[in-house]
Amino acid sequence: MSVNVQGLRKSYGALDVLKDINLDVREGEFTVLLGPSGCGKSTLLSAIAGLDPINAGRIDIAGIDVTDRDPAARGIAMVFQSYALYPTMTVRGNMTFGLRVKRLPKPEIEKRLTWAADMLQITDLLDRKPGQLSGGQRQRVAIGRALVQQARVFLFDEPLSNLDAKLRAEMRVEIKRLHRELAPTVVYVTHDQIEAMTLASRIAVMRGGRIEQYATPDELYERPATLFVAGFVGAPAMNFLPVILRGGVAELGALRIPLDAYRFTSPPADGTPAVLGVRPEHVTIGGPGVAVATETLFMEPMGADTLGWFQLGAQRLSARLAPQLARGIDGAQTVALDIANASIFDQATELRL
Amino acid sequence: MSVGRIGLYIFLAGAALFFAIPLLIVVMTSLKPMDEIRAGSIFAWPMAPGFAAWVKAWSSACTGLACNGIQVGFWNSFQILIPSVVLSVSAGAINGYALAQWKPPGANMLLTALMLGAFIPYQVILYPMVKIMSNVGLYNSLPGIVAIHIIFGLPVMTLIFRNFYAGLPDELLKAARVDGAGFWRIFWEIMLPISVNILVVAVILQVTGIWNDYLLGLIFAGREYAPMTVQLNLIVNSQMGEQEHNVNMAATLLTALPPLLVYVASGRYFVRGITAGAVKG
Repeated sequence: MSVNVQGLRKSYGALDVLKDINLDVREGEFTVLLGPSGCGKSTLLSAIAGLDPINAGRIDIAGIDVTDRDPAARGIAMVFQSYALYPTMTVRGNMTFGLRVKRLPKPEIEKRLTWAADMLQITDLLDRKPGQLSGGQRQRVAIGRALVQQARVFLFDEPLSNLDAKLRAEMRVEIKRLHRELAPTVVYVTHDQIEAMTLASRIAVMRGGRIEQYATPDELYERPATLFVAGFVGAPAMNFLPVILRGGVAELGALRIPLDAYRFTSPPADGTPAVLGVRPEHVTIGGPGVAVATETLFMEPMGADTLGWFQLGAQRLSARLAPQLARGIDGAQTVALDIANASIFDQATELRL
Repeated sequence: MSVGRIGLYIFLAGAALFFAIPLLIVVMTSLKPMDEIRAGSIFAWPMAPGFAAWVKAWSSACTGLACNGIQVGFWNSFQILIPSVVLSVSAGAINGYALAQWKPPGANMLLTALMLGAFIPYQVILYPMVKIMSNVGLYNSLPGIVAIHIIFGLPVMTLIFRNFYAGLPDELLKAARVDGAGFWRIFWEIMLPISVNILVVAVILQVTGIWNDYLLGLIFAGREYAPMTVQLNLIVNSQMGEQEHNVNMAATLLTALPPLLVYVASGRYFVRGITAGAVKG
């Protein structure tokens, strides 16, 4: 079932939280809403769920206008950040509450409960109360409570942010497995880009109540549409160099960087102030691209890679280097900027050029 | 044990005695016959303790013209207490839940109005209340005094429950709404079971408040439904004949007993509920 949001606006008093949101989630797609806190991603999810009234716009689920429907009548299931388990009910009671409200026949409830508990390996927890469960177990129960609904659209509101790093990685795999097996449509809110990159079929990056870019993880990483997306996605962060574009050359102080390898989407006017963005893995020693003279600053070993820092004029450049290579580096060093894989943004509009 | 510690214990013992001695005197006096009270000191131990004064206070002490003891007041208070407590606590719980969880438009204004309501000394609005009750035909009746107790109890009850429910995570209500439950179902099956401790606190507050009330009972209940406190006053302040101190004391103890029993029975929950409220709300 698809989820389609058109022209959605939401404000609290004078504060516009969502400004003209358009989002199209295709059937079976795993869409992640990614952004810093306060960007409106959770508000958007609430609006899709029908938990918060909206000011303007329209929401379709499975091609049906559900804008004015109650949450329960939208064919959705939801998992919350704080798990939101009913404290006085057992796990069994929690998972079957929604089914009992809907007055499903007992055998059907039992069948779905067994199936979901089995799927999440929580069968032996069914008679416990939420207070007797660990964080990971609570999250499983919360997911189970959504599973038994057998909804075709699942909404997740930062479901893993209360878990420690190890459990989070484990649950991420679990959610990915469930999505593969059941293939529901998912809208998933997070501020964690690793979660977004690993889970999503498409990511909508949000800032200030707007969607900056809605694309596959690869597209988002390789061809960010705005300066914000480029800076927000990727760790270590992309290098940003302030340049002036003139005649197919980027001027960085006295340095001239030819941009022949770059494919402009819209050719800029001469003298346009711009930002040249190069990911640390596209700053290499002896690799393809434009060679520039730098001074070595220091090395940060990170295990699989070493992050090398170099001074280029007034700017600092980070490079993702192989640890063996990084060990010998010191003093003056020529590094290559892979312009073919770089991104250039208009300084004023922050849009990709 | 340090000197400071010893000093602390002496102070605590002193404070305990300060409250315990009057109670002890009341209990001792109630167990003495009148002769002994007249002859001895109030601190003297009863020589032949007996419950004669208690029996008289309960069943045959004179409250004005009638001499049926304070039991009449006991049953009146009981009839006033049960519906008043049940209805005011229920209404407070429902109001608090609606205000805190569903946040209807104007909820904050209503809350401010309730705060005002909770802090206005009710003597101020007694006279208009009497006029209103009399106009709707409830003055001097059991439903009248019950209604008064509910109205006067509502602001504080609502505030207590609102603060408790405001401390719960919003997502609980959202999850229940996604599950398809409505206003009442969420209240009964999710909110109320969480509220046991706070319910006990509310019930204790209302039981003691309503049982110990004198002024409202005197004004609104009428002669027929005068509560125990009003009858106690009639016994103690009767101007006819000799003051029977032992009967007065026994009647006082009888009147004070029910709230005391409620405290003893639910003290554990009371402390838990007070702290739960303090931490969460």
